[in-house]
Amino acid sequence: MKANNLIFAPALKQEFRCRVPLKDARQVFLVNGTVQGAGAPLAFRLEEGEQLPQMLQLIAIRSAEGPQDLSFSESFHFSRGSAGRIILCAHTFSLDPFKTVEHTKITLEEDAHAEFVVMQNEHNQADHETFYEITLAAGATLDMVFLSLHGGIIRNHIEARLQGEHASCNLSGLYLTDGDQRMDYDIRLTHEIPGCHSNQIFKGILDDRGLAHFDGLIRVVPDAQKTEAYQANHNLLVSDTAKAYTRPQLEIYADDVKCSHGATIGRLNPDELFYMRTRGIPVTEARVLQQMAFCNEVVDKITSPELRERMQVLVEKRLRGEFSRCQNCSKNCC
Amino acid sequence: MNTLLQIENLHASVGEKEILRGINLEIKAGEVHAIMGPNGSGKSTLSAVLAGRDTFTVTEGSVTYDGRDLLSLTPEARAWAGIFLGFQYPVEIPGVSNVNFMKAAVNEQRKQRGLEPLGAAQFLKLMREKMAYVEMDSSFSGRGVNVGFSGGEKKRNEIFQMAMLEPRLAILDETDSGLDVDALRIVASGVNKLKRPDNAFIVITHYQRLLDYIVPDVIHVLYKGRIIKTAGKELALEIEKKGYDWLIHESE
Repeated sequence: MKANNLIFAPALKQEFRCRVPLKDARQVFLVNGTVQGAGAPLAFRLEEGEQLPQMLQLIAIRSAEGPQDLSFSESFHFSRGSAGRIILCAHTFSLDPFKTVEHTKITLEEDAHAEFVVMQNEHNQADHETFYEITLAAGATLDMVFLSLHGGIIRNHIEARLQGEHASCNLSGLYLTDGDQRMDYDIRLTHEIPGCHSNQIFKGILDDRGLAHFDGLIRVVPDAQKTEAYQANHNLLVSDTAKAYTRPQLEIYADDVKCSHGATIGRLNPDELFYMRTRGIPVTEARVLQQMAFCNEVVDKITSPELRERMQVLVEKRLRGEFSRCQNCSKNCC
Repeated sequence: MNTLLQIENLHASVGEKEILRGINLEIKAGEVHAIMGPNGSGKSTLSAVLAGRDTFTVTEGSVTYDGRDLLSLTPEARAWAGIFLGFQYPVEIPGVSNVNFMKAAVNEQRKQRGLEPLGAAQFLKLMREKMAYVEMDSSFSGRGVNVGFSGGEKKRNEIFQMAMLEPRLAILDETDSGLDVDALRIVASGVNKLKRPDNAFIVITHYQRLLDYIVPDVIHVLYKGRIIKTAGKELALEIEKKGYDWLIHESE
């Protein structure tokens, strides 16, 4: 399906006004995993050299009542030299417990450029498991930002393969848990040929009994020389009962590479906190400022200023313990 | 003149170790008090205890500020009441810009005093005006708090923040350490511009040099957690010449 063939006008229940649409985006609704509930999985394709003028916002909603699980797949194909920006959002109508399994294939041909922002903002009984299968050809660039704000159990599996010289894959993620939420990232990134670049920065703030697992492997195959691959995972524990597990891994079978990985699990810096309080900033506000600062490194990766500002607001609301629902929405997704 | 701060028999410890061992000090509105003393005498501890740092435990004594029990207040409540601590080592806060930091601080203090928050234009005007006090470039406002600042820039930022918050009692903990002569002059003139009959300063320093610029009414010498000598400003010159040994000897 080509971008301009997608149906943009949603026929939806009145109570769900997802959000004030971004000025620079066109919205497409995926009802129960298919375009407008019409049955066929989404297969998005940009032709050679095609430039998507606006962001494409795909809003996946589950309209069914009751606890049935949902499983669907979608694909995004960027032909040679094409470029586009995609926002993937997940929402639900009901507050029933259920699970969504989503398979997403992202293929970038030579010199294609794609930007993805994945927004996971569901309720506490909605489990979501995603499988991303990403391949990049020579000279292709993928910039992808994950924001996991709410959900019961969220598991994101990302498999990225760099298959052409000078491909560049930049993955960033932010996960915020509280209550009994759990968010996992499982990343396998393979440099299959020489001269590619990858960068990963994943950060999480865990409150209450929140739990997160980060499992990230960078693999550099034999003789993939001149590889540059970086990975960082940082976790902030803001309660005594939150837990984070991190497993950064490098497997390198080449000798002329620049690779690094780093992982931390820590707490808010007490010196910063005291400094802010001596200026009259109340302790709760000081903590929010510190946490926002921590999150901004990821949120700042969003290139659209309009989208970035909106995400900053959602993240800030989330950190303040307010419902991080979108503007004008009547649904308490969380 | 009315008493702004009254410290009586103040004892404070960190863990098992007693650092302040009976401090008595009275500060009136309009006064500048200098506190000197050798390393490890408890100067920074005193300033931290007054600002409400919880790593220190007050074991005895009282601190009355403007008629209130200061020690029962949280650090932020002390700031709302008009106390300001200029840090010896200002803290870097990556990701929080100076402008957002100051906006949060100023507007919270206004809220606590029943004032409306400042609008964006008013706030920026105030920032510019106060940055000029310490000859700070406006490019600093967008940068992370103290991040990548030189030692001198950090100290200027402390004075800038003080100018923004207009405290009634400012405690400057070795604001002169690590400053070159020009920075020292800028910092001192910032302090002098903020001096009013209704506020007071406690200036902690090792060097007489700062006191050439910020002229104190009283100088106290702190040693092993006690004030062993209180005198006029000429004491600083004597200390510069003769060191602390004679004072320590005298007190023992």
